Amino acid sequence: MLPSFHYYQPESLAEALNLLADLPGPKKVLAGGTDVIPALSRGELAVEHLVSLKKLDELREIRRVGANLHVGALVTFRELVSSPLVAGFCRLLGEAAAAVGGPQVRNQGTVGGNVVNASPAGDLLPPLFALGAQVKLCRRGGERVLPLAEFLLGMGKTMLMPEEILTEVIFPALPGGAASSFVKLGRRNSLAISRISMAVIIFRNRQGRIEEARLALGAVAPRPVRAERAEALLKGRCPGPALLEEAVAAIAETVAAILGRRASAPYKRVAVKGVARQALLRAVPEFGKP
Amino acid sequence: MNSESRGGKGPELTSFPEGPGFRVVGRSLPRVDGTAKVTGGARFAADCKLPGMLFARVLRSTVPHAVLRRLDAAGALSLPGVAAVFTAADIPGNNAVGIIVKDEPVLVETGGRIRRIGDPLALVVGESEAVLEAALAKIKVEYEELPPVFSPLEAMREGAPQIHEKGNVQSVTRIKKGDVEAALAQAKFVVTHRYTTQMVEHAYLETEAGVAAVENGLLVIWVSTQNPHYDRREVARVLNLGQHRVRIVQAPTGGGFGGKLDISVQCLLGLAAWKTGRPVKMCYRREESMIASTKRHPFVIDYTSACDGEGRLLAVKVRIVGDTGAYASYGPPTLKRAAVHATGPYEVPNVFIESFCVYTNNPPAGAMRGFGVPQIAFAHESQMDLLAEAVGCDPFTIRLRNCYRTGSVTATGQRLTASVGIEETILRARARAQELGIWRGEP
Amino acid sequence: MKPFRFKAIINDRPVELLIPPNRRLLDLLREDLDLTGVKEGCGEGECGACTVLLDGRPVNSCLVLAPEASGRKITTIEGLASAGRLHPLQEAFLEAGAVQCGYCTPGMILAAKALLEENPDPDEQTVKTAISGNLCRCTGYVKIVRAVRLAAVKMAGKGGGR
Ligand SMILES: Cc1cc2nc3c(=O)[nH]c(=O)nc-3n(C[C@H](O)[C@H](O)[C@H](O)COP(=O)(O)OP(=O)(O)OC[C@H]3O[C@@H](n4cnc5c(N)ncnc54)[C@H](O)[C@@H]3O)c2cc1C
Ligand code: FES
Ligand code: FES
Repeated sequence: MLPSFHYYQPESLAEALNLLADLPGPKKVLAGGTDVIPALSRGELAVEHLVSLKKLDELREIRRVGANLHVGALVTFRELVSSPLVAGFCRLLGEAAAAVGGPQVRNQGTVGGNVVNASPAGDLLPPLFALGAQVKLCRRGGERVLPLAEFLLGMGKTMLMPEEILTEVIFPALPGGAASSFVKLGRRNSLAISRISMAVIIFRNRQGRIEEARLALGAVAPRPVRAERAEALLKGRCPGPALLEEAVAAIAETVAAILGRRASAPYKRVAVKGVARQALLRAVPEFGKP
Repeated sequence: MNSESRGGKGPELTSFPEGPGFRVVGRSLPRVDGTAKVTGGARFAADCKLPGMLFARVLRSTVPHAVLRRLDAAGALSLPGVAAVFTAADIPGNNAVGIIVKDEPVLVETGGRIRRIGDPLALVVGESEAVLEAALAKIKVEYEELPPVFSPLEAMREGAPQIHEKGNVQSVTRIKKGDVEAALAQAKFVVTHRYTTQMVEHAYLETEAGVAAVENGLLVIWVSTQNPHYDRREVARVLNLGQHRVRIVQAPTGGGFGGKLDISVQCLLGLAAWKTGRPVKMCYRREESMIASTKRHPFVIDYTSACDGEGRLLAVKVRIVGDTGAYASYGPPTLKRAAVHATGPYEVPNVFIESFCVYTNNPPAGAMRGFGVPQIAFAHESQMDLLAEAVGCDPFTIRLRNCYRTGSVTATGQRLTASVGIEETILRARARAQELGIWRGEP
Repeated sequence: MKPFRFKAIINDRPVELLIPPNRRLLDLLREDLDLTGVKEGCGEGECGACTVLLDGRPVNSCLVLAPEASGRKITTIEGLASAGRLHPLQEAFLEAGAVQCGYCTPGMILAAKALLEENPDPDEQTVKTAISGNLCRCTGYVKIVRAVRLAAVKMAGKGGGR
């Protein structure tokens, strides 16, 4: 049994924004519901008004606009997994989407929901961090675009105002030569939230030398964390087993410092090495070749 | 054929004869309830609907150890849609259930003892499921909290909080064979370790559920259960009815694994239906199932094994403490079974095993697949690996050197006369491990 | 709470009813329509027992607010057999011994149906992924995977199924 609330199904974004601007009292938008419905049934969420985005088909698109990819807030995990644009321009986002929950959750859960839910273990967040994503927030009579890194404030906390809707996530499409990967460690293979996750993007020049590395770790802090020391260390060098181990050690050091003395630290300090090794190897197999 | 003639010669009969005259034996037959289960037609208890049906939910204690001082249900009763709130005072018969020891109240009485988080305090019955949650929130409860004990080792100590009148040690099993101390003194290798295992929830996919109705003076309960005959006896005793007036129908049961051998909804549903005269349904939600149901016993095992220079077992000495939580449930036989199996499938001339079934303020532990044996197997098999390491032989060799064969005598003095398959099992496991390339020792 | 007019095609039949908007699809199917083949195992998306097909795709009906499913095509286990004949998946589950307590079975079969419609000849790993949102506590999954592949063979034999 869910608590009672008023429920609305606006036909357009404008109507939805009007509703959100005018409705008094606690209100929420409803996308896939995979976070909202369990929270309601556990009594963790009290809302008076629930505004469904169901009919806003304009938020379901993945588009390429110039050098950028625009992913609509209502795009589901499943759609990310099967999108040729995602496969072509941000493979790691598709890999992350494929690692979420199980098939049922992937059919329902959305990009917008994952970002606004702002869970430390949200699987799309590390790839979006690495991609340098921005989010577009609309309200009646205005909109703003914020870098994801500014939008996410911490566990479950964002810059979203109650009358705003996140309409899309925008990031530069990766060029053809960029390598990327996402690796997740859960308690089991399916229906497991991340204990640690890592997104990798690596740009190399024609000689195979690393020009830029972006490494974002999930589930080790309230928000994704970039492993800056390892990123700096990789720059200008050629992948190989020795460099791999150097990078893994640097990542592990960064993570150990963040984890401090929390209960999961002894486990994660060790496990992160495996995750990092796997993620780097998957992105650039040459890390394994002497 | 008699069992004697099969002994030791390996399996003679691997499959039953097929052919004329055998329509059932040796054939794969469709499940009797298979079609209903693949079409969605099978009615599990939660799927039953009866006209005029009421719904019930249990108010449970939120503290692990206390005396229930006061329970005031007036607020709940004043809510529209609440048909009744039942407490221990409404129970006409014996307010105690338990498969072996009747130590668990159906509802804790005022002045009575709460022994765990989740002990049932009151039963709310209403016209819809929706009203139950609000009604539960309106019942006022006053506890006088007592110091709890969550470790069975602490519970065994002098001066520990007493959970039941007869003390915290519910039962003890001792098995003695030969002279362990003398054998230990002579042994070349002695390995001693403590093993601890955790509590496990069965997590059957269907939570506990049932529907009760009074039909022509007969109380009928359709329930998800593994133990209908026991259920009938308990319901009859609790309601002070003759067993001929109680009928338990086992609904299709969505998994049990031992966890549905105990009483869950049966007595409460019976009480509600009998008192209101109307059909009543109750289904646990997953959280409630987790809190209320029995678990696998967590064990603390102190295990000493000793062998000679060739890895032949000379003695084992084992002390098992099983945490049965607030109530005995199947604890005593589980701990007995663990003791009986404590040497594993190995012949040991000198044995001393002690096992204790101990009360704590944890969730009650009961029957679960293996019944104490998986826990102790973890210990005896770990010991065998450690002994092998000490002796310097491989894990297969030490097991083959000690495993039961026809004619072996177990720790309890039973002579095994037939069907001793462990040697063959080990040999086949070794062959398979070689095939898979995960074992490179001798053939 | 204003009542919501729910309209959908459920198991090929049009359904229209007024519901409170806070109803879960699971409850609408079980309570209002008596489609009790839809099971509740956890109520929070973890077990898949409540799986139904929404426009052919498996979802957990315990996580779907009923009004969100309005206007769509819903399939429950009750919609699989037709004219008294079992669906090849239902036959295969029986033949392969993939049914024990049966509580996970409706959800498993529906998840498998969505798979076979997309991929008529899935390998073992693909089957495992497709049913990875469905828990079975009894079987150990081996026979379920076997049943799904057996169903694929049966359906291929019938020229792609029904
Ligand atoms: C069984 C299960 C397993 C899961 N496994 C994973 C997993 O492995 N990895 C993972 O990352 N997550 C997992 N999740 C969490 C969840 O599926 C994701 O966070 C999902 O992305 C949420 O999206 P949604 O569309 O369902 O959001 P909803 O539940 O509809 O909304 C979530 C929050 O975002 C807000 N919101 C949604 N869309 C917008 C918008 N466009 N504008 C403004 N606010 C918005 C809502 O108001 C709400 O606060 C799991 C959930 C379940 C139930
Ligand atoms: S009841 Fe819906 S997933 Fe378990
Ligand atoms: S058959 Fe019992 S849960 Fe799958």
